[in-house]
Amino acid sequence: MNLRRLTALMGKETRELIRDPITLWLALLMPLVMLFLFGYAVTLDVRRVSMGVYDEDRSPASRELAQRFAATENFSVARRFASMHEVVDAMQRSQVRLVLVIPPDFQQRLTTGPRAPVQILVDGTFSMTAALAAGYAEAIVRSFPTPPASTLNLETRVWYNPSLRSANFVVPGLLAVILMAFPPLLTALAIVREKETGTIQQIYASPVTSAEFVASKLVPYGAVALIEMLLLIVVGTFWFGVPFAGSPVLLVSASLIYVLTTVAIGLLVSTVTRTQVAAMLVALIVSLMPSFLFSGFLFPVFTMPFSMQLYSLLIPASYFMEVSRGIVLKAADLTTILPNLVVLAVYTLALFALASWRLRQKVA
Amino acid sequence: MLRRLLGLLRKEGVQFLRDPVVLFLILYLYTIEAVMCTMALTFEIKQLPIGVVDQDLSVGSRHLTDLFTLTEAFELRRQSDSSAPIEGWLEAGEVAMVLVIPTGFEQAYQAGIHPSAQILLDGTNSNVAENARRYAMAIVERFAAERPPLPTGAATVPSVPMTRIWYNPDQETAPFMVLSMMALAAMLVGAICPAASIVRERERGTIEQLLVTPIRVGEMFAAKTIPTLIVNLLAIAPALLITRAFDVPVRGSLTTFVVLAAVFQLSAIAFGVFIASISRTLQQALLLAFFGLFPVMFLSGTFTPIESMPPFLQAASLASPLRYFMDIALGVFLKGAGWAELWPQAVALAVIGSILFMLSLLVFRRRVS
Repeated sequence: MNLRRLTALMGKETRELIRDPITLWLALLMPLVMLFLFGYAVTLDVRRVSMGVYDEDRSPASRELAQRFAATENFSVARRFASMHEVVDAMQRSQVRLVLVIPPDFQQRLTTGPRAPVQILVDGTFSMTAALAAGYAEAIVRSFPTPPASTLNLETRVWYNPSLRSANFVVPGLLAVILMAFPPLLTALAIVREKETGTIQQIYASPVTSAEFVASKLVPYGAVALIEMLLLIVVGTFWFGVPFAGSPVLLVSASLIYVLTTVAIGLLVSTVTRTQVAAMLVALIVSLMPSFLFSGFLFPVFTMPFSMQLYSLLIPASYFMEVSRGIVLKAADLTTILPNLVVLAVYTLALFALASWRLRQKVA
Repeated sequence: MLRRLLGLLRKEGVQFLRDPVVLFLILYLYTIEAVMCTMALTFEIKQLPIGVVDQDLSVGSRHLTDLFTLTEAFELRRQSDSSAPIEGWLEAGEVAMVLVIPTGFEQAYQAGIHPSAQILLDGTNSNVAENARRYAMAIVERFAAERPPLPTGAATVPSVPMTRIWYNPDQETAPFMVLSMMALAAMLVGAICPAASIVRERERGTIEQLLVTPIRVGEMFAAKTIPTLIVNLLAIAPALLITRAFDVPVRGSLTTFVVLAAVFQLSAIAFGVFIASISRTLQQALLLAFFGLFPVMFLSGTFTPIESMPPFLQAASLASPLRYFMDIALGVFLKGAGWAELWPQAVALAVIGSILFMLSLLVFRRRVS
């Protein structure tokens, strides 16, 4: 490696990056937009489920039961039906997701016993929320008119995230996902663009070695990625009030390794694609989508079939997710996260080796 | 004019087919990615690693432990009779939940006092924790029901819920996942391909050559978008095979579905064309598309329920074409809905598409002249 050549190349890359302010703005703003979307909206808890009431009884008791539904945060009563036909129609049109059907003899049965059944109809198409909504509805019905006496108390204590706020697990997880979105894409596009326009031939013809070429791409895009990371940490901590249990210094130093991983993926993608569209699709398929879907960010890994669990081990985001959640939520120290960091480091070195090997082959 | 359009179409078609890598990637998104997601993604609790600390070592405590370990939901990984190792288990992530049965559990039962047990949850993934808690509650309720009831106060007549799940009685996640992955793929491809093909011409300067010919901007847009539309519609075929493989019922008419899918894809393409009209370089266009798509997907209700979002995000979700298409896909496949029920969604898609196309024409004309 020649230092003068390297600084010259890095200067060129940096100028190119700065000269395209739109790209730079996108790189810095989009992670924040994603953070806000996820921070505010990722909750699988059901709130304000639009429901309907078909009250055949029209008694004080049935009105009281319907009122209990309306009083909770989980449901909002959007429709009242006068016939079963209307119920079916509204369910078909997705106007309501759940219907409470109170039979005509409800109040009478409540006084005579032994049981007073009511019907809950649930739209099962959104299967993830259907079960939750049904559970809430059943709980309301069961505790009408008075909650049942339980024979066994179950105390629940939640560790690390006692309020079960989703922002607390989304924000540290998002560090792992967002860094897989931008840096690989940006790096891959920057190199493939040189291929498409043909300027890469000039690089091949110059004395620049492939390692120097790789390093020159690494530094500016790595810097952008690092700024992204810091922005996310600061906004996540101060705006979303995520309690930062561990050491920020440890997190930032751990993320340095991860930033290199993301840029390395971009480099490798650029060596296997010829057009920018293809590069983008490949980057999407190998970096963002798996990090988002299969790394344990939202969907738990342990429920996946064995083959997919193996696949998730191939995703660098899985390891960094452990690191960032560990540090932020569990105050993990270096010894706890070290195995994950080692995997990431080895992974990154392998990627760089592979990428510069592929580049060298091209030149020869 | 028709001849001009046909000529242009041939050129675009050839250009599209010349990039087999992109075609392969499109197919990959529609098939392999869809299968992987359907197989792997669920919020259901299955084989959640748990630990049990049984300090009572009695008949009752053993029975409760059995109830926890015999379900598919939990898998017993660690067991102990003291509470000392709990912290280590949770810290290292070896278990996600610990059931603690304190000393005197069985005795309290015999004495007619409410006994209590404890669960400790790793709250790092709050959705998982919430689901695990719900499951644990259900098991405890079952345990209590099997035991003779404790004397309680005045007996009241309870109201009993009878729950029916419509359209998807077995609560399968697969239909939802397959259909939403199909919709996501259509949205991605629909937005990216036309945007790339328009901006590429602009970057290379060949668009000037097109514009000095009698070809109108509208005709060029049409020629740029039709190949994508066709590829996307053809890609529905393998996707349909996948829905078959996962036993997704088809209760409505497939013709209706394909027509509505075309309307949806036009709105996705309009999104891509709009991005093309506001970006100067291919890199900008791709990045814009990439990050424009994120909110569109996110606000569609595919990953999280729309009703639970804050009001401003709910309002924003009205602009996401995916939101309407999910209603359409789930409606046709699972509910057997047709035009009578789905026309509002179709109108919404058409409105979004036309607004975006019109805006792009305006921006494009101003930029060129």
